[in-house]
Amino acid sequence: MQKILVWDWPVRLGHWLMVGGFILAWLTSESESLRLVHVLSGGTVVAVALFRLPWGFIGSRYARFVDFVRGPGSVVDYLRSLIRLDPDHHTGHNPAGGWAIVLLLGLGIATGLVGWAMYNELGGDWLEELHEGLAATMLTVVFIHVAGVISGSLLHGENLVRAMITGHKQGSPEKAIPSARPLAAIFLLVWVGAASWWLAS
Amino acid sequence: MRAIPAVALLLASLACHAETPQQIRQIYVAEATSQQAGFTPSAKRGDAFFRQRFAINDKMPACISCHTDSPLNAGEHAVTGKSIKPLAVAANPNRLSDPAKVEKWFGRNCKEVVGRACTPAEKADFVTFLSEVR
Repeated sequence: MQKILVWDWPVRLGHWLMVGGFILAWLTSESESLRLVHVLSGGTVVAVALFRLPWGFIGSRYARFVDFVRGPGSVVDYLRSLIRLDPDHHTGHNPAGGWAIVLLLGLGIATGLVGWAMYNELGGDWLEELHEGLAATMLTVVFIHVAGVISGSLLHGENLVRAMITGHKQGSPEKAIPSARPLAAIFLLVWVGAASWWLAS
Repeated sequence: MRAIPAVALLLASLACHAETPQQIRQIYVAEATSQQAGFTPSAKRGDAFFRQRFAINDKMPACISCHTDSPLNAGEHAVTGKSIKPLAVAANPNRLSDPAKVEKWFGRNCKEVVGRACTPAEKADFVTFLSEVR
């Protein structure tokens, strides 16, 4: 076991753009003077999530949905191993983390698109209720995700937050991804800028 | 005693049918009266409040920054430029029909434009102004 590259650039950059966008959107949710900041940061979350869907098929090994979307049985097994304080080690995402990704992507897209419809007055007050309900659900999943990351990090003795920054985790050398895919990350930045700008206009 | 207006708001919003502007005014009047005996709502004070320049917020120093100088007109958001439907019941019958919505917008806009929570008396005056202005 040694430090190997596991997360490519689009995964890491997309993750932290989504974190920043979600926090900013949450903090500016009730302000009219910061309404544009809210719409741009929410647009960032939607844009990252929309990029992540195709990247889940064409991205590097551990970015692909087939690598981490597992059935409920695997999730229960992993959660049991967490409760035993001896979690199974996964080079990529663990099964619980995999479901957090799927839920957060779905909720990020749904919340953002409903927000966009509200902003353009495409529906009534029910859109506002739905937007707030979806955002609150997303915040709940975020808390569960963060709790899982912290407990997983402590129990594995592996800092998963740092891994999402550097891209490196413990693993055998043949399991490393060959490239961090920097060009796709540049495309992601351009896409997020253009898409969130368009959503906010 | 302070819980009574809150309970009234809750009961009003639990009821499935829309409320009338008069019922919403009554909720705030009851709350204001409990703090200040003999309180009577005034559309004139509500009008003055609507025009008052609080100057807490650079982009939105007053209600009229977004809602124009008449609540009968459609407004324009000072930051996004998006259109805002008229506040006056005479121009927009959907206004003042949902107590929870009225309370939500008082909560948000008072904090940001007035720089503090509005008092029940201010809310009663404002609601009276919006329901009576022609």
